Amino acid sequence: MLVHLQGPWSPLWGRLSLSEVPYHNMIVVGAFAFAIVLGAAIVGAVTYAGKWGYLWREWLTTVDHKKIGVMYILLGLVMLFRGFVDALMMRTQQMMAAGPHAAGFLGALHGYLPPSHFDQIYSAHGTIMIILAVTPILVGLMNIVVPLQVGARDMAYPYLNAVGLWLTAMAAALVMLSLFLGDFSHAGWVGLAPLTELPYSPNVGVDYWMWAIQISSVGTTLGSINLIATIVKMRAPGMTWGRLPIFTWTSLSTNIIALSSFPVLAVALFLLSFDRYLGTHFFTPGLGGDLMLYTNLFWIWGHPEVYFVVLPAFGIISEIVPTFSEKPLFGYITMVIASMAIAGVSWSVWLHHFFTMGEGPAVSLYFSVATMLVGIPTGVKVFNWAFTMYRARIRYDVPMLWAIGALALLLTGGLTGMMLAIPAINYTVHNSVFVVAHFHNMFLLIAFAAMGGINYWWPKVFGYKLDEKTGRLVFWYWVAGTIVVFVPMYTLGFMGMTRRLDYVAHPSWLPLLQLEEAGIALYCLALYYQLKQIYVSIRDRAANRVGADAWGTSRSLEWMTLSPVPFYNFAVTPVVHARDEWAWRREHGYTNLRPSRYVDIHMPRNTAVPLVIGALSFALGFGLIWRIWWLTALSLVGIVVAMIIRAGDTDTGYVIAAADVERMEKQADLRAQTVPGGRTGQPIRAVP
Amino acid sequence: MVRNNLWRAARALAAASVLLLSGCVRKGGLVLLDPKGPIAAAELHFTILDVVIMLGIIVPTAILVIWFMWHYRATNRKARYDGRWDHSYGIEVVVWGIPILVVAVLSYFSYKGIFEVDPYNPRILDKPHVTAATARAGAPASRPVDVNVITTDWQWLFVYPKLHIASVDKLVVPVNTPVRFRLTSATVDNAFMIPQLVGQIEIMPGMRTKQALLASHLGTYRGFSAEMSGPGFAWMQFHADVVSAAHFRKWAAMVAKSPDHMTDGAFDAFAQPTFNLHEKSRYFSQVQPGLFRYVIHQVHMGKVFTTPLGAGELMTAHMTRVQ
Repeated sequence: MLVHLQGPWSPLWGRLSLSEVPYHNMIVVGAFAFAIVLGAAIVGAVTYAGKWGYLWREWLTTVDHKKIGVMYILLGLVMLFRGFVDALMMRTQQMMAAGPHAAGFLGALHGYLPPSHFDQIYSAHGTIMIILAVTPILVGLMNIVVPLQVGARDMAYPYLNAVGLWLTAMAAALVMLSLFLGDFSHAGWVGLAPLTELPYSPNVGVDYWMWAIQISSVGTTLGSINLIATIVKMRAPGMTWGRLPIFTWTSLSTNIIALSSFPVLAVALFLLSFDRYLGTHFFTPGLGGDLMLYTNLFWIWGHPEVYFVVLPAFGIISEIVPTFSEKPLFGYITMVIASMAIAGVSWSVWLHHFFTMGEGPAVSLYFSVATMLVGIPTGVKVFNWAFTMYRARIRYDVPMLWAIGALALLLTGGLTGMMLAIPAINYTVHNSVFVVAHFHNMFLLIAFAAMGGINYWWPKVFGYKLDEKTGRLVFWYWVAGTIVVFVPMYTLGFMGMTRRLDYVAHPSWLPLLQLEEAGIALYCLALYYQLKQIYVSIRDRAANRVGADAWGTSRSLEWMTLSPVPFYNFAVTPVVHARDEWAWRREHGYTNLRPSRYVDIHMPRNTAVPLVIGALSFALGFGLIWRIWWLTALSLVGIVVAMIIRAGDTDTGYVIAAADVERMEKQADLRAQTVPGGRTGQPIRAVP
Repeated sequence: MVRNNLWRAARALAAASVLLLSGCVRKGGLVLLDPKGPIAAAELHFTILDVVIMLGIIVPTAILVIWFMWHYRATNRKARYDGRWDHSYGIEVVVWGIPILVVAVLSYFSYKGIFEVDPYNPRILDKPHVTAATARAGAPASRPVDVNVITTDWQWLFVYPKLHIASVDKLVVPVNTPVRFRLTSATVDNAFMIPQLVGQIEIMPGMRTKQALLASHLGTYRGFSAEMSGPGFAWMQFHADVVSAAHFRKWAAMVAKSPDHMTDGAFDAFAQPTFNLHEKSRYFSQVQPGLFRYVIHQVHMGKVFTTPLGAGELMTAHMTRVQ
């Protein structure tokens, strides 16, 4: 060992020991029981239905971009639930622990969570929500939609796509494991240096956080390479840059951000792991280290990461608003310029996350102005959406509701963001719950857009619409919860309430904290209706089947092919004639066209290698976290061997004969005739 | 003059409306709207300015969006529909122009604001808004008071180097007198903040940051660490007492009689991880000169005050027993 470890270590088990299982903590035991019951129920159900073979062939080893996208979104939704439970626990603790006379339970002085447990919860909440919930949901949507929008058969690198998914999933598994074995980081999702250094975080918590992020960010980086290559190289004939759908444009800009910023995070975390494992002094305060170096590196990634998640959200809104306005997007070219401008500015604003570090006024001024520049393209986007609705015929279906909600959140988030960008104001609210309310405001914008996107593209992937009535209830409860939680939170920020408090010193804040808890109850109702919406939709799917154009007024290429999309996407590669190709074909009456002849389709073959690499990465992370060196070495060798085996595999694709394609298309045609809108996607409702 | 009056009226209106919303200005209330010193007042000034300018653009935009949403609903047969309209140079110029204009104006105010509140502006305490506050109070320009702030896990040590005294979790400063702070940490990052007197500044181990304030009203104000620093962070609260010059001298004399001394060695014992539950103040006399530099130097040499394994649970249980 190059570093001084508190606690025991053995060559076989590393730092692992039975005492690392927090069986004395009632909350963790409850969560463990819940996880076991749920896991057993899922395993039992799959076994009972005899679906293991199906699961293995169709999902676990798939390289189909749509299925991978669905799994990304499923992973994101599960982690969203976990993050929400964390939020619920934090709100409850702050409500219970307000004032010196607040009672204490379960070993806590006040409330029911001792500080170390509370600190892990907010760190896990942040890490999960940003890296393992919002990011997978958006990556999943991009995975599903981008190849369809550019008219491709799959991603440029289908195998790499699956590797990215399994790396992200295993990172999530590591974070979940930290619940039941050892602990999670207590230093926030940003990993405050030097709090993350070994003397101040002697447990394995920071290691869990560090390696989980490291593994998932490799997955995200691979995904960004894949999406950029797909958009640049896989476009159908006629799909010029000027005709690229706006969601694909935002995907391009967002993945350029990811590709250029995630390596910075990897470097920052590697240097931190050198500190924690090899005893170096990159970020320690003493012996030549510089903790501000970490803070800078982290936010050089961290701020672009914010735009990495917000740009696809803007793209989703830009797809939904024109469809339900029955009009093309206003100002397409400025929209593209604005998306690229946001990506460009995103690299030069990172210091606004620590205006209070004591830099001079001139440095503050530069970053303040740079930050406010982001407001220009963002403001343009708001106006463009508004003018898309000018002289429109707006229908308020569920996706449109989510888009409008996101727009409202963007206006309030923009107001508070412009406040935080001014150092004179930032000095008073930095690190307060005002900041917390601001970025939740912005992340809820992203969540609203993502929910809109899921409702919008669900029929494309599964062939039937999500239930409208419960969908509206989900939306309105979510809106109500957002208002009731975050208006008091903004107010508390002006009362001087700092973030990350496990104990609230001022009983006078209690009413507002109780109000926030009531908002959480509203979110619980939204969650209930969300589950109900999915259940009802699957139950009544036969009644809600849709044709190719699920909404009747859709505009881009993905609505041209069947719903659900066949695994080969398009029977013949489409030729693109206009910016909104599907709207163009509808206007010109070309929706009923059939190919005169079918051709062979070359498709990638399923492979289990990505799953194996993912599992070995999990073992690698586990070995590193617990310092079990033999496991670390074995899994590292295993990963390299798996990559070599895959590289030697020349039989990675297969051909569907033209006759088979024709047969499948004919069958689909017959099926589609029983569905409103049918094969061609005629408008479902009579347009006045 | 007219502009000034208008400004005061706008500020009063904005403050009143926010206060009405929450219905309180008591202790623990909306402290950011109730500044007690010129620097905090400047921060509030720019807050209101920014909010008013931003609302000036956001409210009309929201009204526009809502009107479009209502008027161009599909069921409204009277609304004009133009399914091809997607471009207009005039509107494009306006939609780019408005945000550019707003950002330009806000950038100007951001520039003005930085120089009025940034402690790294070397002449911060000579700025007109600070000196004017002293002049209004009729107080003679007093000699600045120096305070060295040292944070540990998880306590505040305020050292008055010229007076050779120190206090824990209690800051006492004379009214209408410039106070200059130098801050460092023995362990991890913290942030120093007294919302009603001065904004935030980071406190970093092995480094020295600066802060400056001038309090223009007597009273006791809340101060705290605003940066997460480990399990005892929620307890890193302190009181900031603003007292008269005479009272300050009396207080300093009282602290100077404290039987506890603060030497380098005593500091190392003091800096062991401690939850200071409920802000119990302690005083030290005969503080060793150069303590601040000693702490920074020790950190540079690799000194750490290690957090014990499982600190949260163990320390909380321990402190409960002590009580």
